[in-house]
Amino acid sequence: MQAANTQALDDQLKDMIVGLQRAVAAAIPHIKDDPKIVDKAIGDCKEILDVVIEGNVEEWLS
Amino acid sequence: MFTDKIDVKDFEKQDPEYQDLLKRVLAIQADCEIGGPNLYVKNILPSAPTKLDQLIVARTAAEEMDHFRKMARLAGDIGVDVSYVLSWPNQKRYVEAFRGTISTWEDYAVFGFLIDRVGRYQLEEFIGCTYLPLARVVEDPDMLREEEGHIDFGTHQTAEYAAKGGEAKERIQKAVDYWYVKGLDMFGNSVSRRSERYMEWGLKRRPNAVARQQYRDEVDALMTKMGLTIPDPNKGRLYT
Repeated sequence: MQAANTQALDDQLKDMIVGLQRAVAAAIPHIKDDPKIVDKAIGDCKEILDVVIEGNVEEWLS
Repeated sequence: MFTDKIDVKDFEKQDPEYQDLLKRVLAIQADCEIGGPNLYVKNILPSAPTKLDQLIVARTAAEEMDHFRKMARLAGDIGVDVSYVLSWPNQKRYVEAFRGTISTWEDYAVFGFLIDRVGRYQLEEFIGCTYLPLARVVEDPDMLREEEGHIDFGTHQTAEYAAKGGEAKERIQKAVDYWYVKGLDMFGNSVSRRSERYMEWGLKRRPNAVARQQYRDEVDALMTKMGLTIPDPNKGRLYT
């Protein structure tokens, strides 16, 4: 009954979400003292979110 | 009214109408969860007022993605692949509020204040519902807590801009005028056979009109407290 790709999609999304959460969590304590860490985290988030917004799901799951 | 509690193993034994309604509501809910990030990430992530705000935008998008993931999992487990909404252009979204783009911080703030709040109402509909896997997901404190966090951030930002007065207040009022009617429309038609069927099958708790009125009472009071003008609730509405 389970739709094809259910588990694969779930796993892929989890990876992306964890990547975002880690980047944000690493940067927030340094918001005032280390702009390099913060900029790197924002860049990492943008990279992940660009892929999400592009929405090329077939490519993610291939 | 249907009061059985259904788990995934018993889904296929249910009445076809129950199955259809559940599949439909999960697809729409999944679409709404991912619809938010698709509205604001592109323009707001790079342009948020501060770096902390940029990180908050990214965290909010991550949480909405996780809500999408949970809904997609529920749908997938009953045979519905909702991954197609990930590649939809915004114009195709099920719900009209998600069909544009957000390109100003004021719109992002008011989206949290008004539209994420509708999202909370939508999730609350499923608390105690007859489909146990869905009830479990929304009753887990994470999802509603995260949604509440988005609402609080948007509400705080909206209040802050309103308190500044002058142009800042005008800009936030303009955003409120735009999103208020979109939020009211998200509850659907007041007279809705489908809404009645959802309630009959124990998949939703409140009639559309009741939920909308509760929402109006809540946000109208907040706007009044912020010194904002409550927009005409009928102007530009698609559903009444």
